[in-house]
Order: sequence, then C-alpha cells, then structure tokens
Amino acid sequence: MKYRVNFFVNEEPVELYVEANKTLLRVLREELALTGTKEGCGAGECGACTVIVDGKPVNACLVLAPELDGMHITTIEGLAKDGELTPIQQSFVDLAALQCGFCTPGFVMSATALLEETPHPTREEIIDAISGNLCRCTGYARIVEAIERAANGGGDPA
Amino acid sequence: MKAFEYYAPAALEEAFDLLDRFEAEGKLLNGGTDVVIQLREKLIAPKAVIDIKRIPGLRGIAYDPEHGLTIGACVTMNELGNEALVCTHYPTLAKAALSVGSKQVRNRATCAGNLINASPLADTATPLLAYGASVVAVSREGEREIPLDEFFVFVRKTSLRPGEIVTAVRVPAIPGANGVFTKISRRREVDLSTLCATVLKTGEGWRVAYGSVAPTPIRLRQTEALLDAQPLTEERITRAVELARSEISPISDVRASQEYRLEVAGVVLERSLRALM
Repeated sequence: MKYRVNFFVNEEPVELYVEANKTLLRVLREELALTGTKEGCGAGECGACTVIVDGKPVNACLVLAPELDGMHITTIEGLAKDGELTPIQQSFVDLAALQCGFCTPGFVMSATALLEETPHPTREEIIDAISGNLCRCTGYARIVEAIERAANGGGDPA
Repeated sequence: MKAFEYYAPAALEEAFDLLDRFEAEGKLLNGGTDVVIQLREKLIAPKAVIDIKRIPGLRGIAYDPEHGLTIGACVTMNELGNEALVCTHYPTLAKAALSVGSKQVRNRATCAGNLINASPLADTATPLLAYGASVVAVSREGEREIPLDEFFVFVRKTSLRPGEIVTAVRVPAIPGANGVFTKISRRREVDLSTLCATVLKTGEGWRVAYGSVAPTPIRLRQTEALLDAQPLTEERITRAVELARSEISPISDVRASQEYRLEVAGVVLERSLRALM
C-alpha cells in the first residue's frame, strides 16, 4: 500500500505516493534523487542525514515517509541560489573544513539551522549545535571555525 | 523495515478504533526516535503504525502554581527543555530533557515517549520520579493517572493496558524544591546514560531517584527515609551513600561494570547532597 503525501522540498511542492516503511532519507535519495543527504548510521547517532524540517534540524533517517504530509523540508541542495553558495558553505570551502566530505552536508544543515535561530552564536552554542554530527576525518576545529566565520559575516575570526 | 500500514488519526476516538482493530499488532508512533529504530532493527514488526502526532491537544505545556506542570504527549524534548516555565520551576527536568540524544533527536523525541519506552536509563524519568509525576492514560473507558513509580514495571514494560494512549505527563508543583540532575555518560552529548540521577530537596525532605541501576528507573525510598530523619551530618551522608549502594542492583553492560555503577552511584549522591546542603 502507498500513501499520498504533499510536502515541500527546498520550497518546491512535491506530491508522491510512498510506502510506509520508507524513511524521509530514502525518499530524498531514491525518489527525488537528492543524494546530497547521506546515510551514515541510519539510527540517529551520526547526523549525516540532517535536514531542516519546519525550521528545525532533524535526522532524516528517523522520519517515516507518510509523516511528511504538509512538512517543509530543506536539504543541502536547497541552500545555494543561482550557483552562489551560502556564507556557511563558502566558509567551509574557504577554511577546508572537510576532508572526505561525507558528513559535510549534515554539518552544513545543522549550522544553517543554528544561524537561522541564533545569527551570532557563541563558540559553545556552535559546538552544542553540531554535537549531533560526527566527523571521522577532520577533527572539529576547522568546522567550528568555519561556522564562526560565517556567523561573523565572512571576516577572519583569528 | 518490514511493510506495515500507516495511520495518522485526527482524533483520539479514531486512534481507539485503530487500537481495537489491530490490538497487539498496532504500534503507536510519537516522535519515532525509538520506534523507527525498533522497526529498522526488526525488533518489532507491527501490522499497523498509528501516528498520534496529528491528534489535536497533545502539544501543549501548561503550568500553574497549584496544579503544577502538564506536558502534552507530543511535546518534544527541545520544546520541554527550552520552555521558560520548565527551566524556572523544574530545572532538573529541563536539564534531563536537554541531555537526551542530539539536537536533531530532541526535535523529534518526546518526554512521554521516553517514559513509555521504559528504558531503565530513561533520562527524564529520574526528575519526574523525584517530583512524583504521573502519566495520563486515556482509553474508551475514560482517563486514569498512573503514578510514575507504578508505571514502570520492568525493562521496557509499563503498566499501560491495551487500548490506552498516553496523552500527557503531569508533574506536581513543589514550591521551593531544589534539585540536582546528574548524567554520567561516556561522552557529553549523544550518549545513553551510564547512570543518571536526580536528588531533590523539598520543604519536607529528600527525594532520590536513579536510572540505570535497576530494571526500571527507581526511587531510593530507604535512602530518602534516612536523609529525612535528621539533619544532614557528615556521618549521615556517609551512611546514606552506603545505604544507596545497597538499595540498587546495577548490572554490567557495554557502558560500564556493575562495580563502577555501584561506586559512582554513591559519589553522585554525595556530590548532590553537598550541592543542596
């Protein structure tokens, strides 16, 4: 059995017929070909699948597809407009706040949700906001710096 | 995940119909941070998943000094922990709620779900036990309030009856209560409690509740009685620590050994008492 859901992804209306035992993560990747959102653990531990649902960061692996009806979802693909990266994305590039890049979309989404709520966070607030995201290559120093710099309007925090 | 049917009833009455229809094969879904994992791991394979999040009236947080706090079943951990009224009147509960999982998990996970999941280490259980909270369970037969220490029966078992839906958690007001919530975990965020505890000083005496030291979160009644009996002297603290260690029955698991939990349980009590003296 499939369930009709009407929701928004990156401000575009979407109508789909989904199976109940699919997650939002699988819908994004398999039905909508939005593969920027990654599956790490699939159990809400690593944050690689973080997307913004109705303004709040959420693990896409823990949301069932039929729950999506009426939701507004932002994925990593929805950030850059007309080829121009958001300040957070640009800052991650400028500071090389990534290595393999697998966790990066999740970090960028968590950081985006943070700056929407708290435009000028303290270092502690940044660390708190990304504590649900795991990175196994870089360590976190560059990532925290990148978010700090984006929050400070692109100036060098050092 | 095995296939299942999904329902999002728009009223409690509709949810009762579904529970009648599917009986034990119907699984209620709230924030999903435990249930979706159980589905994924095939620990459960219900015929129907019944999502209660679209039922009106389950999302509010209400407080008044006489009746205390009412937490709707669908209130998330972040909503609870960041609510000013909760931070002011129940700071241990706010801290416990914000200690669960990650920010992403807390945007979905609910306090009611944390209790119904009935893990021995449920983080919000110890402040709620200390405050004498109860769970509001509604069925076709009506509404009943289940005191939390009668709600937890065993590991992942509650006294909820078939056909009952938890609609809220009620927490009495205890004016002037002052407490300490402690979570011992391997990492500071996104980890399960190795041990968690709430020690609460009320006008009348002490309340001590622990998680991850028994099959369910528990109150340490004997320790409380000892603490209540007389002023808190050094000797009494030492005796309370010993008594608390004898009142719990932790096991060894992936997070810690039994010996570690016994040791730390005493340390946590001593530190909490000193902070509240």
